[in-house]
Amino acid sequence: MHVDLAADADHEAEAVAWLNEAERGRWEGYPYSGPQRQFLLCRAALRAALCEQLGCGNAELAFETSEHGKPWARVGGVEAPISFNVSHGGQHGLIAIAPGGRLGVDVEELADRRNLDLLMDGVLGENEHREIASKGGDDQLRSFFRLWTMKEALLKAHGKGLLVDATTFEIPPTVRRGAPRGQLELPQLPGVTLQVEDIGGEEFAAALAREVVSEAGSERAKSR
Amino acid sequence: MAATEERLRKLVDDNLEIEGRTPGSPLDLDRSLSDAGVSSPDIVAFWKVVNEAFGVDISAEQFAEMLTPRDLVAHLDAA
Repeated sequence: MHVDLAADADHEAEAVAWLNEAERGRWEGYPYSGPQRQFLLCRAALRAALCEQLGCGNAELAFETSEHGKPWARVGGVEAPISFNVSHGGQHGLIAIAPGGRLGVDVEELADRRNLDLLMDGVLGENEHREIASKGGDDQLRSFFRLWTMKEALLKAHGKGLLVDATTFEIPPTVRRGAPRGQLELPQLPGVTLQVEDIGGEEFAAALAREVVSEAGSERAKSR
Repeated sequence: MAATEERLRKLVDDNLEIEGRTPGSPLDLDRSLSDAGVSSPDIVAFWKVVNEAFGVDISAEQFAEMLTPRDLVAHLDAA
């Protein structure tokens, strides 16, 4: 689900009404207007989407966070049987929702970055770095953020986000060459197969990662 | 600490683009970069910039675990 994060006073006023008291406090505490608006619009859209999926009222819905900061939902004080993840980048927000299992989403606006070399050093494996470095201009930017969003979506599905060094694993070669999706295991999460999928658009790079749950392992997968 | 804090603020001004923040404005030492709304690519790039500028070798995991600029200043001053 895409969320338009462009500044819009009417839209933002409607969104404030969805927040609970704690969320309003957090919203008011943001020091900068951009992140403040991103939080507001994404949290309101998440609340609306979860209420629809879970068939609950907004007042019944509350969020908790895991040890590493990943949010999860309670309805009426009970853990909700649903996985979700939220990302925002520039004017674009994305919300992913699934019945269960590990889930991560990431979106980044495709804008020129003065520190692309640093980012490449910081997150790409050796093969990925060589392939992206061989490209130039817009192709390099798009290709880099295609990989970045896949890696961050995977780390968010893992549950630790940037606490895991992204250079320690690589996106499968077929996906790096253009296939829209592929599967892998993270070295930090042995025995768990994750599927990663390119869901980017013209103006933004985006990826979705979700746990592949086998028939045999039909017990509800851990979501965080 | 004040000198480290000032160097860090300058690095923030030069490297982090946050919609609504005026370059040169004081750095909130007690608010994490992610809580201040710094994007994940900017946080990763900033990790590399800090290592280079201060001649340290903070790992990605260590950097992510430092919750606030105050934690980072303390780490750099102790290095």
